[in-house]
Amino acid sequence: MSHSKKAEIFNKNEAKVNWHDKALWYVREKRDLSAHKVQGWEYLRELASGIKANVLSNLDEYLIQFEKNAQKNGIKVHWASNAEEHNIIVNNILAEHNAKKVVKSKSMLTEECHLNPYLESKGIEVIDTDLGERIVQLAKESPSHIVLPAIHKTKEEVDILFQEYLGTKPNFGNPEYLTHEARKHLRDKFLKADAAITGVNFAIADTGGFVVCTNEGNADMGAHLAKVHIACMGIEKIIPKEKHLGIFLRLLARSATGQPITTYSSHFNKPATGKEMHIVIVDNGRTEQLSREDFRASLHCIRCGACMNTCPIYRRSGGHSYDATIPGPIGSILSPGMDMKKHSSLPFASTLCGSCSNVCPVKINIHKQLYKWRQVIVKQQKQPLLKNSILKIAGVVLSKPRLYSLSGKSARFILKKAPKFMIYNRLNTWGKARDLPEVKNEIFDEWYKKRTKNG
Amino acid sequence: MGREAILISIRENKPTLLPLPDIDLNAFSEETNLAERFKDNVKLVGGRIKEIALADLDREIKEMFPNAKQIVCELENSSLGNISIFENTDPHDLALIDLAIIKGDLGVAENGSIWISENQFTLRALPFITNDLAIVLSKEAICLHMLNAYELIAQRERNFGLFISGPSKTADIEQCLVIGAQGAMSLTVYVV
Repeated sequence: MSHSKKAEIFNKNEAKVNWHDKALWYVREKRDLSAHKVQGWEYLRELASGIKANVLSNLDEYLIQFEKNAQKNGIKVHWASNAEEHNIIVNNILAEHNAKKVVKSKSMLTEECHLNPYLESKGIEVIDTDLGERIVQLAKESPSHIVLPAIHKTKEEVDILFQEYLGTKPNFGNPEYLTHEARKHLRDKFLKADAAITGVNFAIADTGGFVVCTNEGNADMGAHLAKVHIACMGIEKIIPKEKHLGIFLRLLARSATGQPITTYSSHFNKPATGKEMHIVIVDNGRTEQLSREDFRASLHCIRCGACMNTCPIYRRSGGHSYDATIPGPIGSILSPGMDMKKHSSLPFASTLCGSCSNVCPVKINIHKQLYKWRQVIVKQQKQPLLKNSILKIAGVVLSKPRLYSLSGKSARFILKKAPKFMIYNRLNTWGKARDLPEVKNEIFDEWYKKRTKNG
Repeated sequence: MGREAILISIRENKPTLLPLPDIDLNAFSEETNLAERFKDNVKLVGGRIKEIALADLDREIKEMFPNAKQIVCELENSSLGNISIFENTDPHDLALIDLAIIKGDLGVAENGSIWISENQFTLRALPFITNDLAIVLSKEAICLHMLNAYELIAQRERNFGLFISGPSKTADIEQCLVIGAQGAMSLTVYVV
């Protein structure tokens, strides 16, 4: 189903759409307030973008350097070309330790690889430990936002969900009560887990260490209690030097939620005595995206979600309408690279207003890439007959001034005189949710000629 | 398996080498009262902060946490600890700790975070699993921003460390901020 069809469904509940729209805009405003307090914010964005561009141009060397340094510190490094290899590697590590209970903190990569269903099919229990992710996991849904996974759920819905699965009391959706009940539930899971899986926010080539950021402390609770820690990262998470964290950590949380930094920014360099630490480095389509000159900058992304919060289409259509692991503007330039057929409607789910590019902490030209994907997709994929013929007619009309003038006149006549059913029908997709403009008697061309004649 | 394939694919597809930008630290310098800025930001991120004399530390902590029964203290100049932990202590045994007291290495004024490292606490799980966390920080050890911070921690022994900013929190239910998610329920910073 296309984005617009799914968005139509989301828009059936007007009150919820309005809430969603406002809640995300509020996060965008917090981002602005927070960013404006930082001396040299724009320079930070430039540096971050420049560092990421350097990383992509030297990615193989940085990955080798990272591997060497990580191994020196006793971390085991694995490489996976695709999702399947990634899942097999993780499962093998778990099998080696006979691990049956796994706690996982937020990792969009493992979502992308569909790790949970894979491990579950092997008889392993996987518990998502970020509160928002636990909520969508219990609801058997996917995250609708990369930083706020359950933003599409009301507190009343969470209340009912927790009553069913955690045995909580009815509480009219009290967020504090629900959060603390989830804390108790997850504590128990942390204490019983055999292994912990986390994502990676940044992997540092020159130290072989990696950084994981959370607000809840769930990544650390998992990693420090279980005997095995597996961290999964896309190849693009590499940064050259540790000091570059001083740039990225200043940008990440401010862009994401408006916080000056996440509560926990944990730096893992060596496994604790008697424990194991693994890193799985994953390609899964990233080197292919690297080959596309127009789209490779999408690999700069640090997954802050700012483009989603600011996007007028995302805010009013919800993350699930995108039907992709990463929704919103950045997802709409990443997903067609993974599966163009499935995601061909996504680059059109944008007004091309450019707000996403303006807030992006690593200065990805998101709206320009959306426009470029449209050109690729129109060439490679059959477009609806209506859209095609209208654009062809428009091309002819616009190239012939007299025809243009004539069609302008007749259009104005029709808009004024024709009955409503003739104007608002299935052929006029523009008129589906909008009124066409009121017709003025005089048009610019006539007005201009008259004005020149009157001198 | 994937290693060679990935590296070959990168070499075939990467753009020509682009330079790593130099960082001009002057662009971030500001005239500011570091201690005040740090204090404001600790509060902003949901922490408590108090400037005290080192000699009053135990009294202050007792006053703040009158009900704390199981206390792990990783400081030399405090006698409040009543649970001893060692490197081979099972971290699961920390589940019922009420209060952990540890030393912070460095405060960062721009975001109210504090660098704490494994060298200051025997078990990595401690600052997360404890119900309440108290960090003692020297008032001399506050820098302006994260770039300064990384210069100052560059020479450390790299095992495990983190920037911690306030208590654990979440806003995953309808964007309502709730303090006390999976990590510590509170953070109190004592500046001495």
